[in-house]
Amino acid sequence: MAHSFTTLPVPGLADRPRFAVARSGRVTMRALGRLVAPSAALWVVLVIILVLPIMAFLAAAVSPALLGQGTEWFSLGAFSRALSGGIVVALADSLGVAIVAAVVAGAIGFALAWVMQRTDAPARGMTTGLLFALFLTPSYLIALGWERLLEPNGVLVAIGLDPAPFRSVFYGPVGVTTVLAVKGLPFAYLAISTALRGLGREYEEAVRVHGGGRVATARFVVALLAPAVWSALAIVFAESVSDFGVAATLADTAHFPVATYALYTAVQAFPVDFPLASAVSWLLMGLVVAALMLQNAALRGRRFRVLGGRSRVPRRHVLSRPARTVWSVSFALLILTTLGVPTFGAIAASLIDGLGTLSGTHRWNLGNYIRVIRSPDLGGPLLYSALLALVTATAALLLAVACARVLSTVGSSMTGRILDAVLIAAVALPGIVFAAGYIFTYNLPVFSAAGLQIYGTNTLLLLAYLATALPSTTRLLVGAVGQVQNSMAEAARVHGLSAARSALSITLPVLARPLVSAWLLTYTATLLELPVSQLLAPAGDQPISVGITTALAKYDFGGGTAMEVLAILSALAVVAVVYGGFRLVAPLGWRRLGVAR
Amino acid sequence: MSRRTVIALALAGLSAITLSACSSGSAATSVTAGGSTSKVEPLVLYAAEGWDSGFAKAFTAKTHIPVELVDESTGPLLTKIAAERNNPRWSLLWVDGDQAFASLAHQGQLLSYRTSAPLTGVGTSLAPADHSYTPTDTTVMAAVIYNAAKTSAVPSTYQDLLGAAYRGKVGMNDPAQSGPTYPFIAGVMNQLGGTSSGIARGEAYFLKLKQNGLKVFPTNGDTLHALETGQIDYGLVQSSAAIGERLKVTATATFQPTIVYLPKSTLLPSVLGISKALDPVRQAEAKQFVDYALSAEGQKIMQQGDATGDSLFWPIVPGVHPLPGMPSFPAAYQVLEPTFWGKSESQVVSWFDQNIK
Repeated sequence: MAHSFTTLPVPGLADRPRFAVARSGRVTMRALGRLVAPSAALWVVLVIILVLPIMAFLAAAVSPALLGQGTEWFSLGAFSRALSGGIVVALADSLGVAIVAAVVAGAIGFALAWVMQRTDAPARGMTTGLLFALFLTPSYLIALGWERLLEPNGVLVAIGLDPAPFRSVFYGPVGVTTVLAVKGLPFAYLAISTALRGLGREYEEAVRVHGGGRVATARFVVALLAPAVWSALAIVFAESVSDFGVAATLADTAHFPVATYALYTAVQAFPVDFPLASAVSWLLMGLVVAALMLQNAALRGRRFRVLGGRSRVPRRHVLSRPARTVWSVSFALLILTTLGVPTFGAIAASLIDGLGTLSGTHRWNLGNYIRVIRSPDLGGPLLYSALLALVTATAALLLAVACARVLSTVGSSMTGRILDAVLIAAVALPGIVFAAGYIFTYNLPVFSAAGLQIYGTNTLLLLAYLATALPSTTRLLVGAVGQVQNSMAEAARVHGLSAARSALSITLPVLARPLVSAWLLTYTATLLELPVSQLLAPAGDQPISVGITTALAKYDFGGGTAMEVLAILSALAVVAVVYGGFRLVAPLGWRRLGVAR
Repeated sequence: MSRRTVIALALAGLSAITLSACSSGSAATSVTAGGSTSKVEPLVLYAAEGWDSGFAKAFTAKTHIPVELVDESTGPLLTKIAAERNNPRWSLLWVDGDQAFASLAHQGQLLSYRTSAPLTGVGTSLAPADHSYTPTDTTVMAAVIYNAAKTSAVPSTYQDLLGAAYRGKVGMNDPAQSGPTYPFIAGVMNQLGGTSSGIARGEAYFLKLKQNGLKVFPTNGDTLHALETGQIDYGLVQSSAAIGERLKVTATATFQPTIVYLPKSTLLPSVLGISKALDPVRQAEAKQFVDYALSAEGQKIMQQGDATGDSLFWPIVPGVHPLPGMPSFPAAYQVLEPTFWGKSESQVVSWFDQNIK
């Protein structure tokens, strides 16, 4: 029997019928879909994976007894300890280096994205792979490389150079900022380049038609890319503030206190001082929320939907010979500084026997790699981590699109602003905070009593990975998702396409490349994720990052570094396969969108 | 993008997670032996020892009791245990150093168990009176490893390190990053003034050492690397790390690692503790695990697991001999009172971080 539908007004909402009920009286799935608020399901997910664990950890600062971390049900003692002289200085240090790192990474990322997308500069094809390699390189390896180069009686001294003057400069805020900017560069580049792809040349031509020169054009383009630029700055700032790796290595060696090191010592000590760690986390969050408010103020009330059905393919500028030379030298210097140093660190630790030391043969030696490849400590853990990373990247991508859609809505509601705050706060908190928060939340006796035992399972580990990945992945996509004009999808609906078909045939193609980039970034970040893996991996399963750390802790620098290098190479292989697959399988139009001619 | 699309995306994302591998812990099984069937429940072992994986497998092979291993460094393991305090999930903890165990015992988290396995005099001195944990072997802090090819001065006391011959040549680990290093510092303090004035006197000593050019590196491996590169000539590291360095590195004309022990050496035991939250079946199994660790067979497996690292310990079980290449046990040694020095750890490490590093 065919059904026809009557819309019934809801009292108080006369113009907005809520219920679609068949004449037969049955409530349909369509009705149910309209009944459920669009953000309700999303918020349920976010509460489970983000809000509850974060709030559980932050609660420890004011109510230690609530989580079995003390006897006081309410106390501000942790904050008074956190605001003592040492940690205040560390917070100021963290703020300073994070601002500089964000600006430096943002500037270099923008310049790199512009050159890659809008000019015919040589070696463009290498950039994406090199940036993924950089993203994969752990802070430890970058710091190790610099230390091996600059240490007294190190390699530079062995070849007759005296790095002492440079060492005194690098072992301090300069070095810490450099490493953090290097680590943030891939985020900045990807966030800006995905948005730059969606910017057709009609806007630049409009400026030129109205008499604007290159500077005016550049200012206009930067303004149009503001959401992506601010996203890039926000991601790098938040990642720098919450970085653990540099804090525990270079910053500590340089006696340059940063806030995350204070948090690190609080959770490394025994008895563990979770209330102090939680109080420091509150302060870190405060820094990042301030950055978020700055971002919102800069973008308030403006529209940036530039990607539509009539966007014109941008043109590549032909660089002059001097410009090409400058670019080539700059690019080489960038690669040498960002990837060359950690590569050297890896070689020194794993490929050359006793490089820079008084002992050893100083010969090339593949022994570490052969030993590691034959060891059960590599293959099984690497495959395990790869599977987890694959699931995490897929789930994070789906959720991130939903979140990015909410965030990119102009004049977003309170829901959007709260979501923004939750996501940016999550980036501000180190992974170990998340992990502890997950234990506090999902190891509560009430869950065990109810038979909901997910602590100690792969499910909880995946949820935690998702929580750590979602904020950054969302920020990466905000720029691109925010550029998509609603008119395209609306036109498709007017012409009879369903919502799902409209999404698949209109929205997906224009977002395909940003989605691929975001998926890969999440995959690579999850593969070598450490703090969450350490605390939440199920008994009997060992993620590769934990295996590497365990080897290094047993003074097996050669073996641990070899495992690290092989894991990075495996991730780069996945990057190559996915990008290669996209190039082969995706329709031509998907690949050509936004590509300058 | 429509509302339903948003909902579908969000739910699809969560479904992808929940439908993925969702392993729960091994369930209890039954083992039949000698005509009788007994219920067996898996043990969860948190361990930071080089032999833990091989040992867990050997124990399971012998007893058919499954052991789920969490093999990490001591720091993350203790962080997990602290976070699990409301609902402990671990059965056994096996790490170096007994200060943390004293703290866990004070919190009521450890099950007292007096093993029937005999211990040597050293082992007995390491076992607590309330049997809340069990030592299984010991190393010492610190071994002084020096490059005999570069220097002829050999210290015989800790005070010697304050002399001109050692200026700028001595390195040690950072207690904030190296677990074995705090017991070394506490040992020096204990030796200088015991629990009454040891901390103050120890601080004075380390300040003098700092004025004499002491260099601090993150961990054993970093200190040994500094020795190998000639940044220091004397390294104060854990005995197993020092002995392992001497075994792994081929001596050359420019690098001859040599080890001495200064009186008194502070014992750093490997310790096994049983969670008090275990049910009776798992408690019995955990006790078997402890007994196995102190058996000749168990000690042998421990010595095979990490021949150039953690296996370089001095046994505390009668009849078990250290590995070939191990030096004689230091003549002058001390045992730290774990409760006092455990409580002082945070204060001392913080002071060291602000004044010595």
